Amino acid sequence: MRLLLFFISTFLLSSSLFAKNPIFSPTFDDLIKQTIGSEKYIFDDKNIQIKVPNFADNPVQVPIYVNASKIKDAQKMILFADLNPIPRIIDMQTTKILPVISINIKVAQETPLRALVLDSKGIWHIGSKNIRSNGGGCDVSSQASTNSDFAKFLGKTKGKVFKKKDKNRIKASIFHPMETGLIFGNVEFYINTIKIQNDKELLSTIKTSSAISENPRFIFEIKDKINFLDNDGNDFELEL
Amino acid sequence: MKLLLLIIASISCYANSFDFKIKPIKLTENSYYVYGKEEYFSKQNGGDIANSAFIITKNSVILIDTGSSVEYGQQLKKAIKKITNKPIKYIINTHHHPDHFLGNYAFKDVKIYATKHTKDDIKNNGELYISNIVNLVGKAAYTTKVKAPNSLLEKKELVLDGYKLKVLYLNGHTKSDIVIYDEKTKILYASDLVFNNRALATPHANLHDWIKTLEKLKTIDFKVLVAGHGKASYDKKVLDENIFYLNYLDTTLKNAVKQGFDTFEILEQAHPKEVQNYSMFKEEFERSIINLYPKYENQ
Repeated sequence: MRLLLFFISTFLLSSSLFAKNPIFSPTFDDLIKQTIGSEKYIFDDKNIQIKVPNFADNPVQVPIYVNASKIKDAQKMILFADLNPIPRIIDMQTTKILPVISINIKVAQETPLRALVLDSKGIWHIGSKNIRSNGGGCDVSSQASTNSDFAKFLGKTKGKVFKKKDKNRIKASIFHPMETGLIFGNVEFYINTIKIQNDKELLSTIKTSSAISENPRFIFEIKDKINFLDNDGNDFELEL
Repeated sequence: MKLLLLIIASISCYANSFDFKIKPIKLTENSYYVYGKEEYFSKQNGGDIANSAFIITKNSVILIDTGSSVEYGQQLKKAIKKITNKPIKYIINTHHHPDHFLGNYAFKDVKIYATKHTKDDIKNNGELYISNIVNLVGKAAYTTKVKAPNSLLEKKELVLDGYKLKVLYLNGHTKSDIVIYDEKTKILYASDLVFNNRALATPHANLHDWIKTLEKLKTIDFKVLVAGHGKASYDKKVLDENIFYLNYLDTTLKNAVKQGFDTFEILEQAHPKEVQNYSMFKEEFERSIINLYPKYENQ
C-alpha cells in the first residue's frame, strides 16, 4: 500500500513538472532557448491568468491582460507571442511591483501568447493562451506617424493612479508610433525602456518592444513615478 | 469507372458555387428586402450577413446595397429576375462597408450611386476589404472584384426613371450614411444606421453623431423600416432601442475611464438585459469596446 501511494505521488509530481505544452507551435522551442537559455521551466496555466479577446478582429490593437500574482516572489515576467515577427513583447522586473500587466499588442497572425514568470527558486512558470486573429498587424505603418501633428504630440504622456482593494494601479499612456520598421521606408522607432521609481528607489526596469501597439497604454500595479525611454534616447517623464 | 468519374465531377462542380438561398421578402406590391443572417462573416454563411433591398418601378429596378461578394450579387440578380423581367438599372451603396457594396461587380450597365466619402473609401480600401473577406468566408468571395460607384449622390431627391426617392445624408455608423425614404410606400431604407435586435457594429462609428441621427429618423413618418442588419421593423421603438444601446456603450466607456478599468474588466461587467438580448451581443460588444476604449482614454 505504501508503495502504491508513493508511486502515485511521484507520478503526479512528474506529470505536473513535465506538463505538456498546452498550445503547440513550431517556434516555441527556439524562442524559449533564446529567452531563458537552459534554465528550468514548467507549464503553469493554473497560476498565470491570461486574458485575450475571443477574436482579435483588429490586429494592431489586441488587448491582453496577464496576472501572475499567485506566484509568490516573482522575480521577472517576460511575454512573447510565438508567431509574431517580433516575438518579444515585454520584459519586466517584478520584485517590487506585481507581476501584472495590461497592454495592447499587434499580431501578425493567429498566435499563442506566453507569459514566463521566474520564481524565487529559479524556475520559470509559463502561462499560454491562443490569440485568434486573421492577423496583419505587424506590417502596417502606425497611424500616429502619418498624423501631421505627430511631432507636436510625440512623447505626450498621461497617467493616473487608481486605488484598488489591496493595491494601487498605475495607468499610463504615451503618444508614440511604436514603429516596427518592418515596412519599407519606415525606421523602427519605439519605446524600449520604462522605469518605475518612487522618491527613494528604482522599483522596476521594463524593457518593451515594437510589438506593443502604437500610443501604448499600460497598466502596472504599483504607485509613484514612471519614466519612458525610447530607442532614440528620448526621455519622457510622467509624475503621478 | 465512368460512373465514378461522373460523380466526382458533379460533386466538385456543385462545390464551386456557394448557394445563398436568396429569398426576397415582400414589403409592398413592388418593394422587397433580402434578409441577411445575424452572424459574423464565416465560411458557413458565405458572408450573407447584411440586408439588401430593391424597388421595382415602371421600367426598371432600383437596388439598395449589394451584399459582400460578387457571388452574392449574381444570385441576388437571379432572384430578382424570378420576380420581374425589368432590368436592374440603378444601385445605391448606402455606406462603405464591404458587406454592402462588394456585390456591385455582378451588375453591368448600372448607375451606382454613393456619396463622395463612400465612393473614395471604396476606391482606396476596396482591395483591402476583399482580402479580409476572402480570409473570413473563403470560396464564396474568391471571384469578387471592386466596382466603385460611378454616380455621385448630392441632391435631396433622386428621380430614377421617373421614380422619386428622398435621400437623407447622415452619419454616425460611418462618416457618411445614406438613408433612402420612399414617400409613396412609406418605407424607410435605414441601412446600417439601424440594427434591429442585432448588436450594433461600431468599427467606424461616432456614438454621439449616431444617436443624433437616430433622433432625426424618429421624426420621419414611416410605416416600415428596413434595417441594415436584422429583420424589417414596423415599429419606431427599434430606434429607441438602438439609442439605448449606443448610450449604454458610451456611459460604460466613460465609467471605465473614471474607474481605471482594463478592457477585460469592462467586458466581464454585468450588462443590462436590454442589450444582452441583442443577437451577437458578446462578439460585437467586445469589438466595440476594444476599438473605442483607447479613444475614450485619450480624450
